Amino acid sequence: MKNNRKYLYLLVLLPFLVVALLFEVIPLLMIIFNSFIPDAGGSFTLENYVTVFSKPLYKKAILNSIQISCVSSAIGIVIAFFGAKAAHESNGRFHTAFMTVLNMVSNFAGVPLAFAYMIMLGNSGVLLKLGKTIGLEALANYELYTTHGLTLIYVYFQIPLSTLLLIPAFEGIRREWQESSLLLGAGSFQFWTRVGVPVLLPSILGTISVLFANALAAYATAYALLMNNYALLPISISGMFVGDVTIRKGLGGALSVIMMLLMVIMILITNAITRKTQKGVRKA
Amino acid sequence: MKKKHTAAHITVTIIIIYLLIPLLATATYSLFDKWTGLLPEHFSLHNYVELFTEKEFMLSLGRTVIICIIPILLTILLVLLALFVVTIYFPRLEKYVQILCMIPYTIQGVILSVSILSLYAGSGTVLDNRMIMLVGAYCIIILPYIYQGIRNSMHAVNMPMLLEAAEMLGASKLYGFFKVIVPNIISGITVSSLLAVGIIFGDYVLIRNIAGTSFQNVQIYLFLEMKRSSTKASAVFVIIMLTTFLITALVLFIKSREAKGKMQKGKG
Amino acid sequence: MSYIRFEHLYKSFGQNEVLKDINLEIEQGQLVTLLGPSGCGKSTLLRCLAGLEAVTAGKVYLDGADITNVNPKDRDVGMVFQQYSLFPNLNVAQNVAFGLKMKKVPKEETDRRVSEILRVVGLSDKAGQYPSQLSGGQPQRAALARAIVIQPKVLLLDEPLSAIDALLRRSLQIEIRKIQKDLGMTAIFVTHDQDEAMVMSDVIHLMHQGIIEQSANPTEMYTRPATKFAATFIGHYNILSAAEFGTLTGEKLDCQDVAFRPEAVEITLQPSQRENCYHWKGVIDDSLPHGNILRYAVRCGGTQVDVDVLFRTSMMFDHGQEIYMSIKKENCIQL
Repeated sequence: MKNNRKYLYLLVLLPFLVVALLFEVIPLLMIIFNSFIPDAGGSFTLENYVTVFSKPLYKKAILNSIQISCVSSAIGIVIAFFGAKAAHESNGRFHTAFMTVLNMVSNFAGVPLAFAYMIMLGNSGVLLKLGKTIGLEALANYELYTTHGLTLIYVYFQIPLSTLLLIPAFEGIRREWQESSLLLGAGSFQFWTRVGVPVLLPSILGTISVLFANALAAYATAYALLMNNYALLPISISGMFVGDVTIRKGLGGALSVIMMLLMVIMILITNAITRKTQKGVRKA
Repeated sequence: MKKKHTAAHITVTIIIIYLLIPLLATATYSLFDKWTGLLPEHFSLHNYVELFTEKEFMLSLGRTVIICIIPILLTILLVLLALFVVTIYFPRLEKYVQILCMIPYTIQGVILSVSILSLYAGSGTVLDNRMIMLVGAYCIIILPYIYQGIRNSMHAVNMPMLLEAAEMLGASKLYGFFKVIVPNIISGITVSSLLAVGIIFGDYVLIRNIAGTSFQNVQIYLFLEMKRSSTKASAVFVIIMLTTFLITALVLFIKSREAKGKMQKGKG
Repeated sequence: MSYIRFEHLYKSFGQNEVLKDINLEIEQGQLVTLLGPSGCGKSTLLRCLAGLEAVTAGKVYLDGADITNVNPKDRDVGMVFQQYSLFPNLNVAQNVAFGLKMKKVPKEETDRRVSEILRVVGLSDKAGQYPSQLSGGQPQRAALARAIVIQPKVLLLDEPLSAIDALLRRSLQIEIRKIQKDLGMTAIFVTHDQDEAMVMSDVIHLMHQGIIEQSANPTEMYTRPATKFAATFIGHYNILSAAEFGTLTGEKLDCQDVAFRPEAVEITLQPSQRENCYHWKGVIDDSLPHGNILRYAVRCGGTQVDVDVLFRTSMMFDHGQEIYMSIKKENCIQL
């Protein structure tokens, strides 16, 4: 009798399960399933994937996405390393101010960010005018609506995120290590290359995979800047499902699966490196 | 030691300036009529006055508030109920609830929005309603944050023991959960809700893909406005950013207050 | 008939059998200790009585009623937990009043009983404070007040003092014992600290690996351990196998082991003439001061025997010195 009442409580779990199934599990399973069904109708094939890898437009979208994600993550992590190191070493008002600014701008992305860059560096942006006034050609002729410009904006939103993710890891660098390495005659640079970075490596790699995923999935920033005039995975995917053109669930599904796979691959790569290097650390 | 601080402070200052430039430039842009030379000219608030008297903009603000509140309240309720049942009666299911809650971390807005859209649009069911789809999608997107916030605070207050204590004093499990546990984790719930507000407030991809322009929130409004008038759009931008900062400031404030409380306890 | 009774109680967690055929009776008005090392099942037994764990087999009786399947909230049992279990969002008075509120006791009576019990535990001036503002042993006092204000049939204390420093702990032990006696409460106290058990209990039930090893009052537990485990856990018994003991004393005892307390042994420089004693020789190996006691490690052939003597400068032995040892026969416990 007691047990029956216990199972009655499963009903309370039901609303959660219904929402999770309807809006998370089933849609995801269906999009994966659809990626194997040709849009023209028919049965289970790899046709959509063949199309993706044979049409230059889609190949370009994938490559652009990978490139922009890699470059912005790489720049982001380098700046974040020095930012987090500085945050760790700073104190008082500087530390508070830095933490506040990082937290504040960590939500600064998407349409507002693209807009701010358009105001600054767009075709009639204030910095371009400034460049003209002071005669700085490179600035005066800057072209924001390019891969370069897009990467610049991506780097911006990667910095607060990656710095905030790395700062806790620096707490793990003990002052005693630095002091003992100093006493052993190592300079700051040697300390960081031989001890600091290897110790931080798991956190750094973890942050990189977050950054990569973050850039890969960023839609609003790119769309606000370049609309549909740029081959990028999220933009291509949305294009398959939204808008006036015919909806292509199969092809869009295949692109979505590829995007998810890219994230998984990145996680696997960083995990593999972590495992390999950590083993070395333990042996030594 | 002192040298180290100086170097760190210089790095910190440079990054702060770099991060603030786009914000300050755009904010300045919104406050002046003309900015063609080195310095902006003709200070004026007319962009803001215009915005706040425009019905369309006020409506989009209202929509944004509504579309923030509904999914968050819904998700909190769902997660609370689920965690109540799972932690007390079916601890073995906790793992699965956790997996369900953490998946949205990895599938981001684009894929979630198109998968929901392609499944239900034109399906002729109750779910073929853009608003229902949008609320559902937001619930899923904020799920990891709400779940983690609630679960972490449950751990922090040592929920199993508090529940047992309540039970020994004659309270039922349900009473114990909602009258003893929930009041004690309310600040954790508040913080994760605010994070969720930040996420929904800053979302563009879900609302654009699922609702299109039929449900114009401030992000869509900004998008459309920046194609028309960049000065007015810059005012919209400032309002969006100020709201975002307010939310972040609240989160930081609540967190620091909690940390202080804990330190006091540690001292005692 | 006894007030609390466990009958053939079994409890398993999966494959792990934590309680094995526990049969235990507890009298009303007593403070009883469940003593044992961690993992012996003492807390589980307590939680079975509280209803926080469902028993695998067996019965639990409280005040003449079978409560084996009764919900914890309906058992009329008060409990004090190991750590702070005070509700952090309620102040001390609200915490204490919680159980009365659950029982729908009228407001005026609640107020009266809360302030009365806060006076008993010495927290009258802390009524309005929140748990995070309490210090020292105050949270435990508040938790105790909360548990006893509902006048439970039995008060359960699950290592309530384990997180407190030694000095404060001693005074709380005495205080809890006094409150229990004054109110005539039946209480079960779980601890792994034998000194604590000695100070507080009417009866000690020593537990080990899911069974009750020995039930006795503190004096008997101390002087007459019934098993080898009891002898090792309570105090610092010397335990020699009967064969080793025979080699030393020349007396063949018909048992497995012989246990005797370090302070029961007498060391002399000359052979002792005491009657009814066992005598043997040894060599001082080491000495360690323990407060007012000096503990000698004495090598006796192949075995080592610890001997406690009062720390007196007039009676000191050197390392390597040969000495004579004697112990009264009655002080050697055959196990």
